Amino acid sequence: MEAPPVTVMPVTGGTINMMEYLLQGSVLDQSLDSLLHRLRGLCDNIEPESFADHELVYLLKGRQGNPFILRARRSLAHPTAPWHLRYLGQPEVGDKSRHALVRNCVDVAASHSLPDFLNEMGFRMDHEFVAKGHIFRKGALKVVVSKLSRALVPGNTDNTEPLSLSYLVELSVLAPAGQDTVSEDMRSFAEQLKPLVHLEKIDPKRLM
Amino acid sequence: MSGVPAVRVSIESSCERQVQEVSLDGVETYVPPLSMSQNLAKLAQRIDFGQGSDSDEEDPNGQSRVSDWSKQDLEGEEGLVKFQPCSWPWDSVRNHLRSALTEMCVLHDMLSVIKEKKYMALDPVSQDPIVVRTPQVFQLISKKKSLATAAQLLLRGAEKLNKSVAESQEQWRQRDFNAELLHLRSQWKLRKVGDKILGDLSYRSAGSLFTHHGTFEVIKNTDIDLDKKIPDDYCPLNVQIPSDLEGSAYIKVSIQKQSADIGDLGTVSLFRKPLKAKPGSQAWHLKLEAAQNVLLCKEIFTQLSREAVQIKSHIPHIVVKNQIISQPFPGLQLSISLCHSTMDKKNQRASPDKTKPDDHLYVLEHNLHQLIREFHKQTVSSSVMPHPASAPFVPKRLRVAGPMAYDKSEISSLQQSEGLLEKIVKQAKHIFLRSRTARTIDSLASRIEDPQIQAHWSNINDVYESSVKVLITSQGYEQICKSIQLQLNIGVEQIRVVHRDGRVITLSHQEQELQDFLLSQMSQHQVHAVQQLAKVMGWHVLSFSNHVGLGAIESIGNASAITVASPNGAYAISVRNGPESGFKVLVQFPRCQAKDLLKSDVLQDGKWNYLRGPYKEVHWSKMEGRNFVYKMELLMAALTPYP
Repeated sequence: MEAPPVTVMPVTGGTINMMEYLLQGSVLDQSLDSLLHRLRGLCDNIEPESFADHELVYLLKGRQGNPFILRARRSLAHPTAPWHLRYLGQPEVGDKSRHALVRNCVDVAASHSLPDFLNEMGFRMDHEFVAKGHIFRKGALKVVVSKLSRALVPGNTDNTEPLSLSYLVELSVLAPAGQDTVSEDMRSFAEQLKPLVHLEKIDPKRLM
Repeated sequence: MSGVPAVRVSIESSCERQVQEVSLDGVETYVPPLSMSQNLAKLAQRIDFGQGSDSDEEDPNGQSRVSDWSKQDLEGEEGLVKFQPCSWPWDSVRNHLRSALTEMCVLHDMLSVIKEKKYMALDPVSQDPIVVRTPQVFQLISKKKSLATAAQLLLRGAEKLNKSVAESQEQWRQRDFNAELLHLRSQWKLRKVGDKILGDLSYRSAGSLFTHHGTFEVIKNTDIDLDKKIPDDYCPLNVQIPSDLEGSAYIKVSIQKQSADIGDLGTVSLFRKPLKAKPGSQAWHLKLEAAQNVLLCKEIFTQLSREAVQIKSHIPHIVVKNQIISQPFPGLQLSISLCHSTMDKKNQRASPDKTKPDDHLYVLEHNLHQLIREFHKQTVSSSVMPHPASAPFVPKRLRVAGPMAYDKSEISSLQQSEGLLEKIVKQAKHIFLRSRTARTIDSLASRIEDPQIQAHWSNINDVYESSVKVLITSQGYEQICKSIQLQLNIGVEQIRVVHRDGRVITLSHQEQELQDFLLSQMSQHQVHAVQQLAKVMGWHVLSFSNHVGLGAIESIGNASAITVASPNGAYAISVRNGPESGFKVLVQFPRCQAKDLLKSDVLQDGKWNYLRGPYKEVHWSKMEGRNFVYKMELLMAALTPYP
């Protein structure tokens, strides 16, 4: 079967073009508790919630150009919750003064037959991982502290092995394009977490 | 010794030279040893020549002169040194020797001059030159002076002590303020803005969307006179609350019969006595709690009035001043008012209140508070965390609706649209319907003695539904007459009646309906009771009908009728009972007893005499017995022949 041609058009989510503003950092396992404590103090007064998710990353390879990547994620803790399909664009190479990484983002809630559907479309699963951790919010800010582990047997989420001895900390906001005040808020929030975790603008391309 | 294997002992001379440096590979570089002359020069440099000159201090004059002289000399020397920097190690030695020589020469000259005794003589120096004969005036003055200085010293000390005492007091109060502040902080949200300490009274963190800022300021109570005694209730910390939150407030809910004029209802203002201070709680705490209560009441009222204006209902809600008026049922008026009293007005208004009847619906007032808190909780919990965690923060129904292919009705069912006012109106309707039902049943029970009506109210009920079990019995015959048992489920708009046999009748909120229904049930009960009694007495039921199609038409329900025959069949009793017309009891006699009956030519045989003949009405009011069933029992007994 031949893969269908991949469009090079930028993907936008309907009429409102949402952007994800992102800051990332990591914290060692032993200092997780103090970080969570701090986050509980800083974030909205909601019962802290933990999560366990399984993410599958699908690729659609064309003849030329970069492969098209989609991320399908499901909650292990809430098996009835809908799947989440996500497209993340390339980070914008905007001005350096912006404090956060900005990239195009399309979020779609999907039914449970999503993997089959993607397979039918010609997508192939590239890799998968399990993320377990805690989620906080402060207004529009979302803070996700998660431990990433790889599945030892493909598709089996019970048998996993942690990827590192640290937790990934992500601070993200979804906002329409051009709202740069958001990144200011993020910076000030990141400042408040400073001694515990340094949240930075990390370009994923540089790490590849 | 020779037997023991030789132990190699390596001996190394201790290092006599100083190590200059140890390089990274461990090689030590030594300082080369000094030559004899260098060593001497080094030792000579250590000599302190200045020490020796202390010995001729006895002669201060000579000393100073000499030192002056040597200073000059030294200056000269230094001048020399400036031009040719000394490289010679003996230079300082030479200088010192030279100055010593000069001094020696001077001393020698002086001694030779003194020896001549011509120009100079040596005299012993007097040790106590202060023995001066001062006059007494001077002594007095000096004593006075010294006393004055001593007094000044003492005064200064006292002043210092005073100051430190005041300071420590100030510090103590400061500490007290800090302790109070800490206490306050443990219960209220505080933040520092500039040089002010601001606190938060609002329920915003609990999910309130009320726009009032609800900020109070913490101030240090400094307006206290240090000289006076500190009053017992003195608190170093004071709070300043916004002027519109001062005083006390509460929400008053009441249901009244509609009055002709709405206008004068808008001015309801009732005031409650101020809260009693609980022992052990601070003044600021009470103040803040009261202010927070005012804030909550205001929020409730604002929310209600907003809804009152927005909601489209067939009878529009009216918002007048501090009152919301709604019509749950025709002719009935639910009023919710915000009563806010500030301290100064309280005294003027307190008196006329006493005369007013207390028509508070405390349950609804309480429920309003509960509802607003539920509303808060809903706003907090509406922002549920997304699962999986990468999903955006959107209401759950939006995320679920797509994948689950919900249609419009399913989506709207997920949406809670009922507002505070609608809920409270529903609750008020229910409460009103319930109390009116109770009143109806009670008034029937007190008005009608036979049959008896009993109501068993269920303790467990919902805000929108409660139930009552109604039993209709006859006194003394509770065991046999259990025919009518009704379960009344009182809802918001209507009452559902469940019969014992499972029939369900729905009544509207109209009082008359329930009353009519109960009256018809009571009349049916009597006939049922006769039926039960007949069974017990061994009589036979010939016919029975709950709804008789014959006779006068009743305005409420239908009449019911029963005919029972005596065990031997001689007599028959026929009862017709209508809710309005009352009962009519007829007895049918055997033909033989009917004297006025003409002998028929057809019925010649004696056996026909046992056929039942005509009916005669019983004068029921003249019967003995305390109630209908008892009278019926007597009647049956009278008509039953002795065995």
